[in-house]
Parts: sequence; structure tokens; C-alpha cells
Amino acid sequence: MFLAILKRLLMLIPVLIGITLISFLLLQIMPGDPASRAMGSRASAEDLQAMRELWGLDKPIWVQYFYFLRDCVTGSFGVSIFHKQPIITLVADRLPYTLAIVLYSTVIALVIALPFAILAAANRGRFLDVAIRQIFVVLIALPPFWLCYVLILWLALNLGMFPTGGVGTGFFENLYRLFLPSLVVGLSTAALIQQSLRAALIDAMKADYVDTARAKGLRGYEVFLRHILPNSLISTISIIGVRVSWIIGGTVVVEKIFSVPGLGSLLIDSIVSRDLPVIRGLTVFFAILVVTVNLIADICYALADPRIRLE
Amino acid sequence: MIPGLNLKALLLASAVALTGLPAAAETLRVAMGFDPLSLDPIATSDNGSIWTQLLIFDTLVRPDKTGEGLEPGLAESWTVSEDGLTLTFNLREAKFSDGTPVTAEDVQFSIERAASEESGWARFYRPITSFEIVNDRQIVMTLAEPFTPAFNNLALFAAAILPKAQVEEKGDAFFDAPVGAGPFMLKNWARGSRIELEKNPNYWQEGKPYVDDAVLEIVTEPSARVIKLEAGEVDVALDPPLNQLEDLDGKDGISTGQIIPYRADFVQLNTTREPFDDERVRKALNMAIDKDALVQGVLYGAGEPAAAAMPVMAYADPELAPYPYDPAAAKELLAEAGYADGFEAQLLVDSGAATSRNAAITLQAMLQQVGVRVEVQMLEGGTQWETTKSGNYDMSVSYATSDTIDPDQIIGFVGVNPERANAYHTEWKSERLNELYEEERKTPDGDERGGMFREMVQILHDEAPYIFLYHPASAWAAQDYVKDFEILPTSNFRLEEVKIEK
Repeated sequence: MFLAILKRLLMLIPVLIGITLISFLLLQIMPGDPASRAMGSRASAEDLQAMRELWGLDKPIWVQYFYFLRDCVTGSFGVSIFHKQPIITLVADRLPYTLAIVLYSTVIALVIALPFAILAAANRGRFLDVAIRQIFVVLIALPPFWLCYVLILWLALNLGMFPTGGVGTGFFENLYRLFLPSLVVGLSTAALIQQSLRAALIDAMKADYVDTARAKGLRGYEVFLRHILPNSLISTISIIGVRVSWIIGGTVVVEKIFSVPGLGSLLIDSIVSRDLPVIRGLTVFFAILVVTVNLIADICYALADPRIRLE
Repeated sequence: MIPGLNLKALLLASAVALTGLPAAAETLRVAMGFDPLSLDPIATSDNGSIWTQLLIFDTLVRPDKTGEGLEPGLAESWTVSEDGLTLTFNLREAKFSDGTPVTAEDVQFSIERAASEESGWARFYRPITSFEIVNDRQIVMTLAEPFTPAFNNLALFAAAILPKAQVEEKGDAFFDAPVGAGPFMLKNWARGSRIELEKNPNYWQEGKPYVDDAVLEIVTEPSARVIKLEAGEVDVALDPPLNQLEDLDGKDGISTGQIIPYRADFVQLNTTREPFDDERVRKALNMAIDKDALVQGVLYGAGEPAAAAMPVMAYADPELAPYPYDPAAAKELLAEAGYADGFEAQLLVDSGAATSRNAAITLQAMLQQVGVRVEVQMLEGGTQWETTKSGNYDMSVSYATSDTIDPDQIIGFVGVNPERANAYHTEWKSERLNELYEEERKTPDGDERGGMFREMVQILHDEAPYIFLYHPASAWAAQDYVKDFEILPTSNFRLEEVKIEK
């Protein structure tokens, strides 16, 4: 197991080099001059040139790529043109909020999805199953920005139960403040999990080993907890893996509306201001995160299902 | 136990507790749409950074509230020699927030830094060629040749006075925990989230700021800023969506305000291309636009129609009226220029600017009335800028703002060719305007200089290298207990003047 993980880690190196190369080259063809964005529309040509030299934008492309690789290896990921700080510092400021939303929304999703998936599977084809499925289909279809505003207007503004946005200090304050944004993300994750887990549960219920277990005289809940549920959770783990990768960079709308200073809003702001080093650094950083999350998901499969081996 | 006694003891205890407490610290909370990038005054040009810097640092002189003149800042008084080449400043007995005095040496250091290579604003300060420190509180600046805007440029945020010793010692790290002579000190900066400020106890304006603390909450979504205000989480919301202003004003406990800052919105016309090289066509386009309708429809009434691509600021001619809305006359002019059947053209617009986007679509409909068929092309802001700069466009919706209260900066940008931007990439050129610009920069402030500006703006209006649109208002909404909050014509705000009267 340990060796297998090590092997997977080594395999990441060529993947990451590929990612740095692609993200670097893609940004080279992106229109817009960072120097003129930084200095505003009224800067003179000499001032712009001085700025480009200061940032090394006048160097040949391969030299710039080499600098970029060096920054990635040394862990700073480069220095932001606008914030004038190492990118790793910017990331460190914002990552906790993004990770908090990732974890928090996943917990919320599981709390919502598990009981409803089980309930639906147990009542397959009956009214309850159909009703639950329809509700979750609607949840998938709801646009997040709309849901954000509805929750803010209803729970925060009218009932005053939650703040309308922003983050605070300390674990418990943020647990409270990040509830609504995590709920928005969590609801759509819940919908995905509910649909797939329901199907997996139904499949598992029909499996031969379940009949065997029953024939051996195991009680209903024992069959469910020891045989049906673990076998069905494989699909849930893979959905969570994919979702987590998506949430890390994909919660921009939620972050913007709830004023959460996460990585998604940093990425969008940097794209708007043409802060090339930040965009590049973040792309690589996201790639590392996604690859890591996938690795963790794979390990989780292996733990949940003895038939899967890490090779 | 006797219950009554217990209650009495409790009351007594709480009364003691209450009298023992100092008055609660007053905090002013402002929701702002921009996240400052850096607090280094010479490295920034974004609103979030500029507004925050102006709360922490102070300048020698600063624009007064009307935006028409300058008032003393760290300089108590000053004299300008008759030839305009020597500026003498007498500093007041001011201190930085850490208690060290503001000296002439700090002034020289800060202005030289603003003129240095790494400064984005160097060209504003390079005309000052030498400094002479008379004593700790007097400094003389000398110019090699007359340059009237130099004095005004010292009122710009980039000329903020910094403590020399500390900036030299700490380098870039100084700006993470800056020390300034402005009304507030930085207490905590949670990037992307909030900036916490506290009153500078050494601020030279005694008694100010009136509030003890100020918090700038970064809320980039305009609707979210308003929701925060309604929920009572902030006291002031900057730039609420214009279409919600009326609604907000009607709410109990909330009032709104607006001001027209130094900004003009317009459509750049590429005068190197047909038919925009023909003055008649450009005038016709101006007459085909119903500016009042644009102000009502696009700005929800929060703005004024524009007569030129210049903000209404110092030396502006109050008589200069916008082009009349007259589609019939516009058609006649087009026919005279040989475009009786109109023509086709492309209009670029920044896809991220909602107001400009709405304006573009309205313009398309209005121009259709005189036979001009417009294809609206939405581009990301940076790309739009690159495209107009390279001259590869017909028409482009844009705007210009002034950072100083001297109209020199902005006329140089929108009217002079080549100078800084080839008349903002319209490539239009007026020899007379160029001459006046050279002259104006050498002429001392006064009626003569004012006349030159009026003539330049008149030329710009008459030859119309732009379709002049409007001057949009900057708005704010605040709780009723917030007194004396306002946005200045320079777009920033002075929190030291604000009182909370609950």
C-alpha cells in the first residue's frame, strides 16, 4: 500500500511539469498587457516599458518559463504583480476559507443525502421515492446565484438568523458565518450524491452476496450496514472526489455573493487584472490539489472496497 | 434565601459594572466594492488602494471638498514664486501615527520616491528638479521650467508623505503595516475581507476623527453591499446599484446621496477610418443620441448629459451645452457627407461593465433611427483597451476620470495628440488645441489659463472626435444615524469628518 502510494506520487511529477508548461503557454497567448493594467489607462509608453522590464516581461519566453519553474520548485509560485506578495502567501490567506467551504459543504451534503438516498432506495418506485427524486432534481437545476440570494433574503435579512456574508475570526464564528455559502454548495452536492447513492443501493440490494448474507441469517440492519452500504458508497466517494476538485476553484459565484475571500475570487480578480504570475501559480496549485484529492479518493476506494488494489 | 434580596444585589452589581465601563468605542463600518491591492502610494492606481491610502497617509496640500481649490494638508502655508519655478512649503507641527514628527526630509524623500523609476506616477513629479531643505519645517522645490500642474500634483495620493527612516529600513514590508500622518492607522488587514482602521491619536486636526474605529468591509457584489446595509451589518454602502437608489431612499432609517465626480463617458471614434474622418458624420452621430434618455434609461437618472469628453471641473464653461437631440438634422448632415443611406459600424464595449453594456445597446437602437447600423461587440476590458490602442476599431464605449483637480491631466489624455494617448486613440488632432496645451502648462493659474481650457474644450466639443454621452453619479447609501458622510468629486471620502449619532 505504502509503495503503491509512493509510486503514484512519483507519477505526479511528469503530470505537473505538463501542467506548468500548458498553463504557462496558454497565458502567453491571452490578450492584454499586465503592465498597462497595473499602471492604469493613462500611463506613458516609457513608464510601461520600465514596468515590463521590472517584471521581466521583456525577457524571452523560455527564460520566463524557467523563472516560473524555479518559483514553483522553491514553493513561492512567483510574486504577484499587483499584491506584491509571494503567491503562496496569497494562497495561504485564502485557502482556509475555500477548504472550509469544501469540507463544510461535503458534511452538509452527506447529512442531507444519506438518509434520503436510503429512504428512497427502501421505497423504490413508490410515491416517496418519486417525490424525493423530483425534489433533488430541482436542487440540481437551481442556479446557485439565485439560491444564494433567496437564502440571504429569507434567512439572513428577514429572519436575521445568519449574517448576510463575510468571514470572521475563530472556528465557531466561521462555522456560523460560512453556513449559508456551504449550504448552497452542499445542496447541489447532496443532490448528486442522493441520485447516485440511491441507484447504487438498489443495485446492491439485488446482489447475490446480499441474498447469501440473508440466507446466513443476518438481520436486516446488519445486512444493510455491513454489505449493502459499504458496497454502494464507492460511487459516492468518486462523486465527492470530483466535486471537491470542482469546488476548490468553482465556488466563485458563491464566494462573490457571500463576500468570502477564497481562492475562486482570487483567481477571477487576477484574471480581470491580468496578474499573470497569480493566474499561473494558482493554476498549478489547483492542479496539485486536484491530483492530491484524486489520490486520496483512490486510497479511500481501496479502504472501502477490498477488491480495489492500488497499483 | 430571600428572592428580593438576590435581585437587589444583582441590580447593584450591574450598576457598578455599568459605571465602571468606559464609553463604548464607536466603529464606522463601510462596505466597499474594491479590495485594495497595495498600500504603497506610488505602485497603485486602483480605487480600493487609493481610498484606503488617503485615510492612512496625508499629503502636503489636498483638494478641498468642492474639488475646485486646494487646502492645507501637512503644509500649513506655501508660496509660489512669480515665475512659477519655486514652490516653498511651510510644514505644520504634524506627527506620524507613531509619534515621530513629519519633517522636510520626509517630504523630499517621498516626492523623490514618487518621481523614481519604480513609481507609476513618475511623470507627475519629474518636473520638480531640486529640493532645498531650509529647516525641519520648511522645504523649497524648484522646477527647471514652468509647469503649472506640478503644484496640484502634490495633492495626489501618490505624493503622500511617508516616514523616510522607516520606509528605508523596512522596504516593501513597510506597506504591510504602514505608518502615516493621516486620520487613521491600519490595525488589521485581512486581505480580500476587511481593513480595520483605528483613530490616529497624533492626527494634526484636533478632535478628528470623530469615530474611534473604522472598518472597510470588502464586498464586491453591489447587491450584497445593499443587503448588508439593510441587515444593519454596515453603516455605509458605497456604490449601490443605481436602479435600487429610489427604493433604498424610501426605506426607514436609510438615506442615499450622490455626487457627480470627475468622470465623463463617451464613445471613441476612430478618425483614421471612414466615415469617422468626416467631422459632419461625427456631429451627426452626436445629434442622433438622446442623452437625456440615456441618463434616465441607463443611469436611472443618476447623472448629467455631457457636452464634451471632459468632466465638469475647474475652468469648465457653464454655457457649453450638450449637442441637441435632433435625428432629422443628423440625417441631413449624414446625407450631406454622402451617407444618406447610413453606414455599418462596429461598437466595442467592456463586457464586464454593466452600465456601458446597457449604454451600447441603447446607442445601437438610437443610431438605427438615422440609418447607422451598429454591431455591438463585447470584449473583456483589457482586450478592449488593447484593441482601441492598436487602432483596430470603429467605435468604442469608454470613459475617462481625473485623478487631480487640475484639468490638465485629462485634456492631455483625451484631447492632445500625440502626447499620451493620441487623443485617447481617436487619432484626432487639432494643432490649435496642442498649442493651447503647451501654453496652459506654463501659464499661472488664473483667468488666462482658464480661458485656454475653455477654448480647448470648445474645440473638442465642436470637432467631436467622440460621441459625448454623460457624467454618471457616484452614489452611496447610509444609515440615518451616520452624519456628514459624502463622496468627494475626486471619488474618495473623508471618514474623519463622519459622526455617528445614535
